[in-house]
Amino acid sequence: MWAMMLQSRQGRAFLDPRTKMLLVITITSIVIGGGNGGAMNIIKPVLTAVPFLLFVVERKWKTAMTYVAVYIAAFSGELFLVPITRGFLNFIVVACCGMFSRFMPGIAMGSYLVSTTTVSEFMAAMERLGLPQKLTIPLSVMFRFFPTVGEEYSAIGDAMRMRGIHFGGGKPGKMLEYRMVPLMISCVKIGDELSAAALTRGLGASVKRTNICRIGFGVFDVLVMLICILGFCILIGNKCLG
Amino acid sequence: MKQKIQPKDLITVGVFLAIMFIVCMGVAMLGYIPIFIPLLSVLVPLIGGIPFMLFLTKARKFGMVLIMSVMIGLVVGLMGMGVWVIATAPISGILAEIILKSGGYGSVKKSIFSYGVFSTWVIGNYIPIVVTRDNYFSMLVSGYGQEYAETLMGYIPDWSLIPLLFASFLSGILGALIGRELLKKHFVRAGIA
Repeated sequence: MWAMMLQSRQGRAFLDPRTKMLLVITITSIVIGGGNGGAMNIIKPVLTAVPFLLFVVERKWKTAMTYVAVYIAAFSGELFLVPITRGFLNFIVVACCGMFSRFMPGIAMGSYLVSTTTVSEFMAAMERLGLPQKLTIPLSVMFRFFPTVGEEYSAIGDAMRMRGIHFGGGKPGKMLEYRMVPLMISCVKIGDELSAAALTRGLGASVKRTNICRIGFGVFDVLVMLICILGFCILIGNKCLG
Repeated sequence: MKQKIQPKDLITVGVFLAIMFIVCMGVAMLGYIPIFIPLLSVLVPLIGGIPFMLFLTKARKFGMVLIMSVMIGLVVGLMGMGVWVIATAPISGILAEIILKSGGYGSVKKSIFSYGVFSTWVIGNYIPIVVTRDNYFSMLVSGYGQEYAETLMGYIPDWSLIPLLFASFLSGILGALIGRELLKKHFVRAGIA
């Protein structure tokens, strides 16, 4: 059924990029910094479930399952292990479980935004928001670049491991140099190529750019936005009352 | 050098933003161990100095550092680290920009000083801990338990904001010096600085 609904929208993404951005902001600010108690105990699980549902809709089964498994592990760790441990062990449990259960939803949502939005769609959405080019260009380059930096980093890591340079081998200062320098050199080179490519395609030309991406709000966008607005109302209410 | 910012410069800002962000995020993950939270004000500027010094060799127009700081503030702020950064990052950014401009974007000393000033943006992350202390404390207790909250609060007394400010400034200078060394050692020779 989902597949048919997706196809009936003729190539348009399931959610508008603007809705996805709103979701990222909502999830990070409420799940990471929102506090507990009251209606928070309802809105937090709802928001936590959102990335899972989105992964399912996009039929990324593996990602969805990993997300659920890690989240359940972290959450049950927080629920059962934290009260029974003390001292240093307690810190480690709190650190690990707290980090996963708080940051996982935000990270999952962010990766959903990056993996399901093309740069053109992103640019089109930002343009519709009326943001100036001075903000939209760096932001979209940054989104385009996150996966690249990650890839380069792991490639450099492989090369280092092959030559027997790894963490725990002493000399943290040297480690930093060995990793940062190649990473930055390759990123700068890729950046130069990227900017040459973007300029040939008329980025920043004095005329208004057109875009073939179809973006716009649908039923699901409205639904998601309502959840986000509700979340922020609860957040503000909580801050004022408590 | 009176030139307007070109799209190419904006792309450069985006590229370095991604590098800075990933590097700083990697370091900031250490913040889950309570003792590392005050230490982050030293570590983040220290590590960030390397990409930033390389960025400065490409930023020779008024506004690039400012845009960088605005974007850092927005991204970090919206990622849930508190809204204060959205205000503190542009302030330190514009000060850093003015210092750079006074040196004509070429002076090495000015650019090192400028990164020290730029680094003070991290202070925005600590303002909520001090200003709305009770609120923050109760949030920590409900989220992480009494023990964690008390340890963290013990490390950050009210007066600590000013030493933290200086610490971030000094480690920024140090980070810039390291970055400068690496720049001379590798990047100039490789022909990209």
